[in-house]
Parts: sequence; structure tokens; C-alpha cells
Amino acid sequence: MARYAMVIDLRKCVGCQACTVACDKEWDVPLGFARTRVQPTGVVGTFPRLASGFRVAQCNQCERPSCVAACPTGATHQPPDGIVRIDRGLCIGCGYCVEACPYDARYINPVINQADKCDFCAARLERGLQPACVATCTAHAKYFGDLEDSNSEVFRMVYEKGARRLQTMQVAIGPNVYYLGKKQEVDLVFAKFPPRAPRMVASSEFWSRLLKPLVLAAVGATFLGQAVAFFHQLATGEPEHESQEKT
Amino acid sequence: MAAPTIAQAPRPLTAREADALSQRQVKKHDVAIMLLHWFNAIVWLLELTTGLALLTSSFRVAPWWYIQIVQGFFQSRANMLQFHIAVGITWIVVFVVYGTFGFRTYLKKEVLQREISLDGDDVQWLRIRALRLLKCSDEPLPPQGIYNAGQKLFALMVYAMVPVIMITGLIMTFHLIGTTAVGWAAAIHFTAVGAVVSGLMIHVYMGAVFPEEKPAFFSMITGMVNELYAYSHHFKWWKEVSRVRAEILHEPGPEVAATAPPDTPQKRETPGEGEKQQ
Repeated sequence: MARYAMVIDLRKCVGCQACTVACDKEWDVPLGFARTRVQPTGVVGTFPRLASGFRVAQCNQCERPSCVAACPTGATHQPPDGIVRIDRGLCIGCGYCVEACPYDARYINPVINQADKCDFCAARLERGLQPACVATCTAHAKYFGDLEDSNSEVFRMVYEKGARRLQTMQVAIGPNVYYLGKKQEVDLVFAKFPPRAPRMVASSEFWSRLLKPLVLAAVGATFLGQAVAFFHQLATGEPEHESQEKT
Repeated sequence: MAAPTIAQAPRPLTAREADALSQRQVKKHDVAIMLLHWFNAIVWLLELTTGLALLTSSFRVAPWWYIQIVQGFFQSRANMLQFHIAVGITWIVVFVVYGTFGFRTYLKKEVLQREISLDGDDVQWLRIRALRLLKCSDEPLPPQGIYNAGQKLFALMVYAMVPVIMITGLIMTFHLIGTTAVGWAAAIHFTAVGAVVSGLMIHVYMGAVFPEEKPAFFSMITGMVNELYAYSHHFKWWKEVSRVRAEILHEPGPEVAATAPPDTPQKRETPGEGEKQQ
């Protein structure tokens, strides 16, 4: 099975947002939202020792995705190819996954009122095409491929050239978007845009931590009581004349 | 309160009287009610089957093998949800139609009163019933109306929860109001169903398994119960509907009570009793 990954060469990225536009057009992303975007770090340091960089943000198709764990219906799921997908027929738009994503890669699409995010252009992959952002990148800074294939470009970049994952000691869920570049540049981008801790919406927390055990306890208690009554009934047998078992 | 309650309790019958009563049938349910009941039963079966299989991740309550079986039957989880929604919306439509057209017949004040309002006898019944279950008491149970206090409590909860289930279901289906509302709707939908299910299990057990309530189960198919069952389980109601009431209770003027249309003299009596208790 393939293990898809993307590598972004920060030395080449010029922050032109061509990927953002290509993605918007490809997927009809509503105004004000994005599946991918380029975030500048801004200029840091004092002249003449200045530095700046860009973070290309999108869904990382994590290996241990917190969004899949947060989804109550299984709409957000991860097939064996590792690409986290949203099943349009299952998403109810509860927003639990949006809060769960440490990279803020998800949003609720206000047109369909469902969660939406990058899926490495899975529909294009099926037709043998590259993801729209990779195909359109003006500087060829984005690479897409299969980490299981040792001949692929991404394999070399990740395992030989040392492309890095954007993760911290606190949040390490195995993102599959890697960043390649000069150490200072990658460090700057990583320091500026660290992943946040996954959050739980109040309703989600209330439900899974309190309501679910309460309901299970109530149903379990009735079931138990009933089982006792049933075995009592089995042991004593039924009265000869129903209704006449006097009260 | 306790004194008149005991006085009204049904006296033990002789074997001959019991036999005679068990031969007589009285009508308990209309056809519309019986149809609605079994429609409702099928809906709950289908909705619980699919609903259980829909919940995953930290909200999962069913074992994985169960989820696999159900979603395999529907080919995909999305089909399963579509089915859950289709059945749910049919349920809502039927209840809205029923509520609209049956409003005067089935939802009038007296009907609701006998179905869900608890009187002093009912409170005593609940207390004694619980004590008897725990084998801490052998007091006789106070006489009950057409529905006993346990049934009334269950009806109360169902009446409160069903609109909640329907509204939260609609909010999730059509993504109404907003993201936060859908999030809460999911949690509330689950909890309201859980509350009903904990009572529903007793309801099904009493109807299908418990020997004493067997006539109640068959009354949902035939609409009729035998008078012996009515006498020993729903004495207050039996007094209202029985045509042999005078003979069994040794009341004066048996001819009048037995031949006159059963409603006229007796209906006037019932509110009188009710007033005395309140």
C-alpha cells in the first residue's frame, strides 16, 4: 500500500500563493476559507542579519489523526493509503474535528455545512494526476509521492536529505507533510507555527466523558435488573392462572 | 390518603368469579393506537440498530463486530446514515399526521390525564412496587387506572424525549442553526435515546416476557383484555368499563347497572372519586 507524503522545499517557496489559488479553483473553496495557504513568518532579526520564511499549511494526513478520533459518525476516516478523507454522506457538520486538528487545517464549509480539508487531491490521484498545488507550484517547491517507493523523490528527500515533520514533543501525531530547507529557515518556520494541542468542543467533551457513561450505566442497570427478574421467573415458573397471582 | 386507597383495593375473587371474569373481554385499545404502536416498534428497532452502528471513535457504544455486520448489510456507512434519516423522517411525518388528525380523539385532556398524570394512588403504587421487588414489603398494591404508575412514568419520559429526539435529529440531518448547535444536538440525541431505551427495555420485558402482563401484550394485537386481568391489574379502570361490576362488587341495584348503558351512571362517579383524593 502506498504511503503518500508531500515535501515542501522552503528554499524554493517564494510565497506567491499560486498553490492556494489552484486549490481554491480545483475544489470550489468558498471565499474566506482555504484548504491550503502560505503563511509568511514576517521578517525577523536586525539588519543585516535578517531572516524570513513561509509555511505552506494544509492537512498533514497524520498517521495518528486526532480528527478521526474526534469524529462521532466515522465521516472522517483514514483508508490504508493514509489519506484522511471526509465522507460527504456521513458528515453532520458538528465541528468536533475542526477543534481537534492541531494544524487548523479544517474548516466548516458554509455552503454545504460540512467539514472540509485537503485530501491530497485524492480525486486527481485516481486519474493519475498530481495534486493541483504541486502541479501549479511556480518554483517547483512542492513534491508529492509515495514514501514506500524508495525510488521516489519524496523518499530521497525524507530519508536521505532530512526533510522534517512539523511536530513538537507535546503534539506528535505523525504528519505526512515534510519541510526541507536550511536549518535556520526551517527552525524559524517551525518556531513561528507550532502545532497547538488538540481541543475538544464542550458538547463533545460533555458527551464522551459524562453522558456516554451515564447512559451506559442507566441502560446497563435496567438490563441487569431485568435479567435478575427473568432468572427469578425461570426459577419459580409461571403461575397456573395468569392474572390470578393475587396482589 | 392511604385509608381510602386500601378500601378501594380489589377483594380476592372466588374461583367461580375469576373464571367468569376471565371469559369476558373489554376493549382497551383502538385500531389506530395498535397500528401506531407497532409502527413505532418497527421504527425503534430499525433506528436503534442503525444508530448503534453509526457511533464511532470515543462515542462508540457497540462492539466492532456489530458495527461491521450492520454497515456490511448496508454496503457503506453513508447508506446506513441515509437509511437512519429516511426512517426517522418517516417517523416524524407519521407522528405529525397523527397529531394533527388524531388531536381531538387521542390527545385530548382526559386521555393525556389518564396516560401521564400521577395521582396519590400512583405514588403509593410506585413505593410499594419497589419495596415488593426488593422483598421488603407484602402490602397490597393500590388499585390502578387504565395504565399503572410505572407505565405512566415511562409515558411521561417518552412524551418528553420523543420531540427532543426528533428536533435534534432534524438539526443534524439538515445542519440547522450552526456548528455548535449540531454538536450539542448529537450529544442530546444520544442521551434522549438512552433515557428512553433504559425504560424501553422494561416495557419490552413486561410485555413480552413477564407472565402477569401477558394479556397486556395480546391487547396490543386484539385490542381486548379479559376482565380478570383488568380487575386485578387495573381495578379503577375495570370499575369504569365492566358490565358485571355490580355483581362482583355486590352493589345495590344490579339490574340498573347491568342493563343501562355503562357510561352514564359510572362516568359521573369517577370524577367524584378523583376530587375526593385531591
